[in-house]
Amino acid sequence: MSKKIVIGGNDAVAYAAKQSFVDVISAYPITPQTSIIEKIADFIAKGEMNTRFIKVESEHSAMAAAMGASIAGGRVFTATSSQGLLLMHEVLHWASGARLPIVMANANRAVAPPWSIWAEQTDSLAQRDTGWIQFYASNSQEAYDLLFIAFRVAERVKIPAMVCMDGFLVTHTKEPVEIFEDEIDDFIKIKEKREVLDIDDPKAFGALAFPKDYMPIKLEQNKAVFSAAEAFDELSEQFYDISGRKYKELEIYGENSAEVAVVALGSIAETAHLAVDVLNNSGIKSKLVKINMFRPFPKKYLDAELKNVKHIVVFDRNISHGKGGIVKDEVTGSLGLGNVVGYVCGLGGYDVTEDDMVNAVRDVLDGKVKEDSYLWSEK
Amino acid sequence: MKKINRDEILQANHLACPGCGATLSMRLALKALGRKTVIVIPACCWTIINGPHGKNYAGVPVFHTAFETTAAVASGIKASFDMQGKSDITVMGWAGDGGTFDIGLQALSGAAERNDDIIYVCYDNEAYMNTGIQRSSATPYGAATTTTPPPIQKDRPKKDLMEIVNAHEVPYIASATIAYPKDLMKKFEKAKNTRGFKLIHLFSPCPPGHKSVESKSVEIAKLAVETGIFPLYEIENGVHKLTRKPKFTDVREYLYLQGRFKHLDDKEAEIITENIKQRWEKLTKKFEC
Repeated sequence: MSKKIVIGGNDAVAYAAKQSFVDVISAYPITPQTSIIEKIADFIAKGEMNTRFIKVESEHSAMAAAMGASIAGGRVFTATSSQGLLLMHEVLHWASGARLPIVMANANRAVAPPWSIWAEQTDSLAQRDTGWIQFYASNSQEAYDLLFIAFRVAERVKIPAMVCMDGFLVTHTKEPVEIFEDEIDDFIKIKEKREVLDIDDPKAFGALAFPKDYMPIKLEQNKAVFSAAEAFDELSEQFYDISGRKYKELEIYGENSAEVAVVALGSIAETAHLAVDVLNNSGIKSKLVKINMFRPFPKKYLDAELKNVKHIVVFDRNISHGKGGIVKDEVTGSLGLGNVVGYVCGLGGYDVTEDDMVNAVRDVLDGKVKEDSYLWSEK
Repeated sequence: MKKINRDEILQANHLACPGCGATLSMRLALKALGRKTVIVIPACCWTIINGPHGKNYAGVPVFHTAFETTAAVASGIKASFDMQGKSDITVMGWAGDGGTFDIGLQALSGAAERNDDIIYVCYDNEAYMNTGIQRSSATPYGAATTTTPPPIQKDRPKKDLMEIVNAHEVPYIASATIAYPKDLMKKFEKAKNTRGFKLIHLFSPCPPGHKSVESKSVEIAKLAVETGIFPLYEIENGVHKLTRKPKFTDVREYLYLQGRFKHLDDKEAEIITENIKQRWEKLTKKFEC
């Protein structure tokens, strides 16, 4: 039977890692993530967790060692925050490109200078293009639950996943969290088959790809990231059957026929529940659209939720200097202007010719291409 | 005398330049290690040599990785294999001097300090050869590269990698080169049979980078040893052991075979000779008699 204990998000994540039968963890300390890896070290010291913990000399090596452990076939976990996540940036791309289902917890923390250890999401939102699945937990229970789902989704689509939670506000705020006993075992013990280092089938992973090879590999990776949405929908349903707690790409709270939609992610989405109540009580029909899954971007659900809303107000605990809030940009980009179509083209140096462009424009004018698309055909 | 294993693991259709020391090194290393080996390769000449997407000329599993991550990735692979009961597989990092002496030194230090059970190999061709001959901290005094063209050739000595790693108190460190294949293979066998962190430092002639004749690579490697430029020795659990006593022949024999030193005059050659002498004085004190 599950039991309720009072813990913060960091401890919740450590419990989830322990109950996910992680083979290898490689991590480096950084505030406010540190208590995750301390708790895991404690579990290992007490013999409660059968995991190899590589105490690396940097976050860059944390992700590199995680890649090694993953390509060798193990289930791998790591955790970081802010500067540490930024140091990992190069290796984040590599982990996704190598299709390694590593799961990482990120304690969202502001980026220096000036030094700050407090909550902000610029760190993880700056990794949105690295090809990682991104979940945002708003409280400790969500952090705990999403970690299990993250492992299953990541391994299903062979793309790494990060579970983000605001520094201190989620990582350290103690609240009751329902912890499984062994009810989750059947769900989490499933490991999908994937290509790993195999001495009986010696392959090279990540070798130089010429443009004609590179672009289809990247489009395949992109497809896999998109497919995480469907995997999440299915696996979170299974998780609901076990836990009674339902997770969707978006969580909606408030009036169905709202005129105002408040969009947020992370801990401010918790506060937004209260704000929406106040607005509704004062006669302004409002709803909260809380983003649980930021990558792949929940375009389909977001379009449906925001289609008939008069005003959309996005709260961004992050900043893209010279532009503004990142989530606001993503939301408007997703909704579109109605007459903008994007083509992704020319990846890895693949040739984009005048003819390609003329035909692509014609396809838009002829109504053959209505949505964002990819310019790809082998020449 | 022990015969060299005839089993060729490295495939002959690799993409190396003619006379490449790094490729002959790999051929010999794999003969010593066998097929139960996986290799981590960062950005370096071997990124190309091993073949493009879909190819794997090494003949054992290879993970291509980011420039500075070799040691950390190898540590991760080893930990993961151990957890899965595959501890019999040898995990080898295979990096150039740029990826080892420079950008990968931090991860190398981390893995050495943890004494992770991996073999870290640096095939040292003494510059960033894959990007077209730029100086690294392994480039020797006096060498011309595209970023140290004469008269602003390198005026600092090469980093002492083996002593840096030795400061981490690891079980096995060795230098080797293709001119002494049995010695090289013996050292790889020893590394394979030693638990903990192992470093093998290979002097690796590079005809395009050293501006040398392709057929002279083995001779240059031999001269590197015989002139005292590249000492062949082992450090086992902190104990230094000379594995080949050089004849200390005239260093100019070595220098003149390589265009990267052609701007050096006899005075410069004397400085290099003096540097060799000083290094050996320090080194000899460490060797057990």
